[in-house]
Amino acid sequence: MLESGLCKYVVLSYGHNAFSSDSMRRMLMERNPDAAVFGHFGAAAGFALAARRAMHTFRTGPETWKHIAVGQRKWANLNPVAEMYERTMSFDDYYNANWVIEPFRLLDNCLMTDGGRAVVITSAERARDLRHPPVLIMGMGQSNPSCDVHQATHLAGPTGAKKAGEMAFDMAGITRDDIDACEIYDCFTYVVEITLQDYGFFGPGEGEDWFKDGTIEPGGRMPVNTSGGQLSEAYYMGLTPLSEAAMQLMGRCGDRQLGTATSTRSPEIILCNDNGGILQTHTCIIVRRS
Amino acid sequence: MDYNKPLPNVDGDTREFWTGCKAHELRFQKCKDCGHIRWPASMICPVCYSRDTQWIIASGKGKVYTFVVYHVAYHPGFEDDLPYVVADVELEEGPRLLTNIVGCRPDEVKCDMPVEVTWERITEEFSLPKFRPIS
Repeated sequence: MLESGLCKYVVLSYGHNAFSSDSMRRMLMERNPDAAVFGHFGAAAGFALAARRAMHTFRTGPETWKHIAVGQRKWANLNPVAEMYERTMSFDDYYNANWVIEPFRLLDNCLMTDGGRAVVITSAERARDLRHPPVLIMGMGQSNPSCDVHQATHLAGPTGAKKAGEMAFDMAGITRDDIDACEIYDCFTYVVEITLQDYGFFGPGEGEDWFKDGTIEPGGRMPVNTSGGQLSEAYYMGLTPLSEAAMQLMGRCGDRQLGTATSTRSPEIILCNDNGGILQTHTCIIVRRS
Repeated sequence: MDYNKPLPNVDGDTREFWTGCKAHELRFQKCKDCGHIRWPASMICPVCYSRDTQWIIASGKGKVYTFVVYHVAYHPGFEDDLPYVVADVELEEGPRLLTNIVGCRPDEVKCDMPVEVTWERITEEFSLPKFRPIS
């Protein structure tokens, strides 16, 4: 739309009173009446089915996911607008959280949020005159396996992330080694693991070793979900990762700013993504500092 | 006692399946062109897009593809069942069916465990296909 001249600025926005209303709950509960017959409701259960199959297919489970929940919480503790800003999380807190839908404990689940987030997209030329330094889109990819989730063969990977990631890297003309940080759609902890795995950051079953010792935390070698993400900042669907990537590259992130403030690499290139359904649709976007 | 859980949503696609369940038969559509046996029910074969379909009766044997254990009831009708198992069972004929595993403890369920259908009659009109371990 921008390149064809149909418009000059596009606002990409998300807002929801998901916490104080029952609209999100109703949407998730009413989606599949024939599943409700067997007591199967909502999104957590669908992703838990995927996670369980992954546990059967390669080495993963709570021992891997605790690093994601705790690592992202450390970022949220640096972010004053995060819902979990003042609440720390230890590995013990993670293991002591109640089962919700096993293999997911409460702390494997994202938040329900009242609020919103938006980004403005325009041409690189127009962006030069704006108040903040622009962030440039280097590459995009999309892949939608899109089967009915109960028939899906991609629950334990490769998900749409594999093809979408390859497309985005190809368009950007870079490799994984050029990525300074990742902002990953994280409705549940397992989704962060399978997404990074399908992008090729580690092989199937190598996630626990890759995540341990604070890889994704402040001070880590590959920061992930630096606002706290949907697990610990706020749930704004794809706008949680995308807006955080833009803010980080503009240098507007205060105590959680990538670079010297958090003993991490100063970010030039950030990978972010979104997915929909139960791993049924996937979009990858690679952005860079101007 | 009145049945206090959600009832099946019968439509043009699924009527034959639920009629079969009432007779304690697992009925699925088989494509007359490519032979693919499918679920959920649909007008068109998802593999070859043919509309030419016949209904077959499945053996009722299969294995657990994946499963979860509910520790929270999202509908009051399931509160007394906690913890209960929802599984995706892969039938010998190919289709995967969302269902419950019964007849064993939740911590005894494993992926790829062999199971067979067992019928739960819930009303005059409906029976649900649930699955239990093959001993």
